[in-house]
Amino acid sequence: MTSMASPYLSPSSTSPHIHFTTTMSTLRFHLLPSFHALRAVFLVAMLSQLLFSSCTTDVPSTYVEVKDLPSVYPDYIGVTVPVNIAPLHFHIDHDSTATDFVTRLSAGNEAYAIAGDNVRPGLKKWRKLLTAALAAEGKISAEVFIKKNDKWQRHQPFTITVSKDSIDPYISYRLISPSYVTYEDLTLNQRCLENFDESLIYGNMINSDEANGQCINCHHAQWYNPNRIQFHVRQYLGGTVIAYDGKVQKVDLKTDSTISAGVYPTWHPRKPWIVYSTNNTGQSFHTRDVQKIEVQDTKSNLIFYDLEHNTVTPITRDTTDFDCFPFWSPDGKYVYYVSAHWERRDSVQMDFELIKNYKQVQYNLYRIPFNEQTLSFGPRELIYDAVARNRSVTLPRVSPDGRWLMFTEGKFGVFHIWHNDADLFLLDLAQAEPVEPTPVVFYSSHNLPASVHPENANNVRREELADSLLEAQGLRTPLPAHIRNITELNSHDVESYHSWSSNGCWVIFSSRRDDGNFTRPFIAHHDGNGHFSRPFELPQDNPLYHRQFMRSYNIPEFLSGPVTIRPQEFAAVIKKDANKAQLKIK
Amino acid sequence: MKGKENKKAPQSSTPSSSSVGKWLNNSALYALIVLGLLVFAGFKLVQEESEMLLRAQELNLWLPTTLYWKTLMQYPGGAASWLATYLTQYFYYPGLGVSILCGLWLIICLLLAWTYRLRGPWLLLTALLPLALLACITQTGYWLFYQKLQGHLFVPTVGVLFATLCLVLQRLFDKSLPPKVARWMRLLWITLVCILGYPFFGAWALGATGLLAILPSVQASEANAHDESDKSIRSRFYFLGDGLGVRLLLAILLIAVVPQIYYQWCFEMTERTFVYVAALPSMRYSKESFEIYRIPYYAIILSFAILTLFSAGEGSAFAKKLKPSLKVLITLTLLVLAIFGVRAVWYHDINFQKELAMNRAIEELDWERVLTIARDGSSDIKPTRQIVMYKNLALFRLGRAGNEMFFYPEGAVQQNAPWKVRMTQIGGKLIYYHYGKENFCYRWCMEDGVEFGWKAETLKFMARTSILNREWTVARKYLDLLKKTTFHRAWAERYEKYLATPDAFDLEKLEASAKAGHPLLDEQGMKEFAPILHMMTYPDRLDGDNTLVEMYLLQTFAKGNGDDPLFQEMTLICALIMKDIDLFWPRFMRYATLNPDVHMPLHYQEAAYLYGHLENKVDISHMPFDQNVRDTYERFMKFNQQCGPMSEEQKAVAFYPQFGNTFYYFYFLVRNQKTN
Repeated sequence: MTSMASPYLSPSSTSPHIHFTTTMSTLRFHLLPSFHALRAVFLVAMLSQLLFSSCTTDVPSTYVEVKDLPSVYPDYIGVTVPVNIAPLHFHIDHDSTATDFVTRLSAGNEAYAIAGDNVRPGLKKWRKLLTAALAAEGKISAEVFIKKNDKWQRHQPFTITVSKDSIDPYISYRLISPSYVTYEDLTLNQRCLENFDESLIYGNMINSDEANGQCINCHHAQWYNPNRIQFHVRQYLGGTVIAYDGKVQKVDLKTDSTISAGVYPTWHPRKPWIVYSTNNTGQSFHTRDVQKIEVQDTKSNLIFYDLEHNTVTPITRDTTDFDCFPFWSPDGKYVYYVSAHWERRDSVQMDFELIKNYKQVQYNLYRIPFNEQTLSFGPRELIYDAVARNRSVTLPRVSPDGRWLMFTEGKFGVFHIWHNDADLFLLDLAQAEPVEPTPVVFYSSHNLPASVHPENANNVRREELADSLLEAQGLRTPLPAHIRNITELNSHDVESYHSWSSNGCWVIFSSRRDDGNFTRPFIAHHDGNGHFSRPFELPQDNPLYHRQFMRSYNIPEFLSGPVTIRPQEFAAVIKKDANKAQLKIK
Repeated sequence: MKGKENKKAPQSSTPSSSSVGKWLNNSALYALIVLGLLVFAGFKLVQEESEMLLRAQELNLWLPTTLYWKTLMQYPGGAASWLATYLTQYFYYPGLGVSILCGLWLIICLLLAWTYRLRGPWLLLTALLPLALLACITQTGYWLFYQKLQGHLFVPTVGVLFATLCLVLQRLFDKSLPPKVARWMRLLWITLVCILGYPFFGAWALGATGLLAILPSVQASEANAHDESDKSIRSRFYFLGDGLGVRLLLAILLIAVVPQIYYQWCFEMTERTFVYVAALPSMRYSKESFEIYRIPYYAIILSFAILTLFSAGEGSAFAKKLKPSLKVLITLTLLVLAIFGVRAVWYHDINFQKELAMNRAIEELDWERVLTIARDGSSDIKPTRQIVMYKNLALFRLGRAGNEMFFYPEGAVQQNAPWKVRMTQIGGKLIYYHYGKENFCYRWCMEDGVEFGWKAETLKFMARTSILNREWTVARKYLDLLKKTTFHRAWAERYEKYLATPDAFDLEKLEASAKAGHPLLDEQGMKEFAPILHMMTYPDRLDGDNTLVEMYLLQTFAKGNGDDPLFQEMTLICALIMKDIDLFWPRFMRYATLNPDVHMPLHYQEAAYLYGHLENKVDISHMPFDQNVRDTYERFMKFNQQCGPMSEEQKAVAFYPQFGNTFYYFYFLVRNQKTN
């Protein structure tokens, strides 16, 4: 729907123009045989470039008003950004009839017009816009004009809210193709959120060759500190790399009494202690489902690692409980984690049994108290009985103020990045009390009564039927009042790994909402009361970058600054033998 | 002595009055021979390797994006790969790609002739480089699927061209600058080429650095101020100019140190020892290294060494003294040796060629052509499982599997490569795609993309499987990437249309629309997608193929159940191939029920007749078997009695002419078909 607008006074009369760079279509010169000549040509070229580029772009004064918002990628419409964020570059999606584009970004007294379908305000101008927005009503307005059939159209403007709450300047993440078994070229990266600088923390190819592949994973910093980080190297030259205040070492956390070396880590907020899960993990492949992979543990427990003494102490050892994804509370008093209970049913191998029954493996949220004096853990407490709701939780993460616990919930399993029903939930720890597990007999797509089992229903439909049947029979407990689905963050697709900023004002999480396959980091503002703003995708210099990029972002976590140890230094340490951790049984 | 006089010196030693001598020293003649050789090489490439070149460009991807450039430039030599992948695209039209290739070789020859000041018969030596480069391409074979260096077919040419251009510039400096300045300039240029060239051209820049150090000096050649009686090495190699030692030292130092400096401060994704071989194909697979494939690369080095040695048709004391006829003899010998070398390493394998040709025919949905290639009996070599599977797929798509499946040669010959070739990495994706195992096709595309880099071919599969899985957004992602390429844009635009018709990928709606006479898909779409949608009518479950495509398909189909006639027939075919009697009967009965109006295909009848006689579990007495099915069975059994004492291998040979096209033969005498 369009409507004619009255002649419009150019905003240039009230706002300054932005100068924009145009690429010269042609620049002809003869290759001259002397350096002087070459220099002359270069100078002429530069001058010409300056001449050409000094033309300005005007916001169209006559246009047709369009009632729709523009279609922009990434979708930054109505998002809230921190005051120190990098420019939000975006692309205007359009059809082939669109021939020209102008976008006017304004805040307070600052306004810039940008030509082209890639809207890329420069860093300085963006900073001015952010400052101006904070000084005014806290909004940056974006008006998009698109020229079609020689007539300009103006879409409804949208706003970007600027929050005075700053965000940690860096994030770290692993870049990995959403692959299945193979890996090549894996990198742990860090990115400055205040600009577009991205650098490598460590890349596996520096220590890999055809015969000796290396996987790297599970990077984690102690309380946002880039000088205290750890990550794992698997297979060739394997071990856990720990950098602690300038000292880098590789340790071997596997002991005879533990399932594996350390896997999913959580640092104590202050002390040189790390709790890990130890896991036996396998994966199998969906033949039809677009979720494609199911990653399952056949065993998992928790261990405590004392970095100072290089000792490993098992925390949980029950083979019928799969304990995973520990997270230390900011006060250091509890370790939150998820656990599924599974007792052998068949005589077949455990992994085959679990593959067969993969939808019945569901995880609850637990915590165990920790005594800093004795370095001992107390009995576990059930915090959220997700299984009673025919659900499975993973990745508990507590906010820095200790009030909120965010987790991911899906129907089954623990590796929710491959579950497109996975959503983020928030639990108010101020109201949380340990609960008793509810014995449940629930239906799934496998055991639905024949009367309600429509033959042709697909998997999703059968799951829905199971849920509604449970609800109808009162067998599925409602969501507790202190837990809520963070609908403002969730999408139709996967939301998974998440972490809080150090001031608790921001969360970053993984989502596959863009295309269902490639994970992208999204950031959202937290108001301190358990509510979030509309999330925005990690800004990139080239707004179409994520549409072209063939890798996923894994485990995005905030850092208070950059990791300064160079990849080559990590590589040198990794080449050395690992320090074998000693088992310490209490 | 003056340089001018020296130039004439070699001629004076030849019988200038002799027309033969003139003829033997005629540069134009040798230039023509080189040109003819290049044309012939190009012709042979197009004639014999078109399929390989076509596939090479499918297994290549060049994108005009900064991201693509940056991705390649993470590694030293990224620019060489970038240029090479750009050029590889042109194999989309093999003739065009080969013309570009030969054009670049011609340029290399001309530049080398000028740089090394080659005249007369020595001109022939310039052809050594193109021949070595040709060998780099023609030895490829199954490396096509396993080579991780992007643009590997063109990289050697790009690398040699880069090195040659570095030499040309040095020659220009030599010519235009005063000797003293030129000497310093050469040191500076060597340094610049190594430091600035390495990040872009990797090992080729290191090679160029070495070549610059030993490039014959124009001044030295022209001055020719050496003492004939001086037999020292220095004197013999006077034409390499003054300061050779310094140049060599500098070059060695740079070659040793520059990659290490880049390793420490720039390239964070390259293993320390690999920095010296960056932008060279690794010729390693898994834990094995295949040195023999490095020979053409050593030949490149050797060719440059020969050029340096003989460079001076007018400079080198050794070369200068030679009679014209001897010059011709030496150059021709070297050339012939090189030609034989190329011939020796040229990969010829009928199954490889067949696999490539069948793959293309399937991509073009030309099922009859697939069968024509499968029938080709120009060689006695038995087929690979890949070929057998392509053939079975074509027969299945044509609805003739039940009647003709065993009319073609059976075989399980391993692919002709010194490592174990996996079907998942060559044609498995195509097979999965057409048999409705879209997730497994997608999976192996992803695995290969991760391990060997993204290719147009994998993106095409990923786009199509995503369309069939109704994952529209990610399908668009892959199509958008393909639209950025030079030659796959049209393909992407054709498939992009299907994103607008989501209902077409709901089998019920598609069939209803087709019945109503207004199919939701165009003719091409119906031909490609409709059968696949039929094959996707099975429930989801967790599974894995352990990289064995054929075994996985046989197991899952043979044990599968379905009411879709196409899918159901596949379950019967697989039960038949697996020779599983218990699985066969229910699927045979179901086939008969689902296809009441279809004459029971020959091989299904044969299996039922045989199984009915082998086991008495099913009463076949009322089944209307064709007379020839009964007769063949009787003859088979009678012949078997006659051949009583023969071993199974002997029987396989003896029975083949009469019974090779029957299920009876397949059941009793085709065994141990190891799949990969």
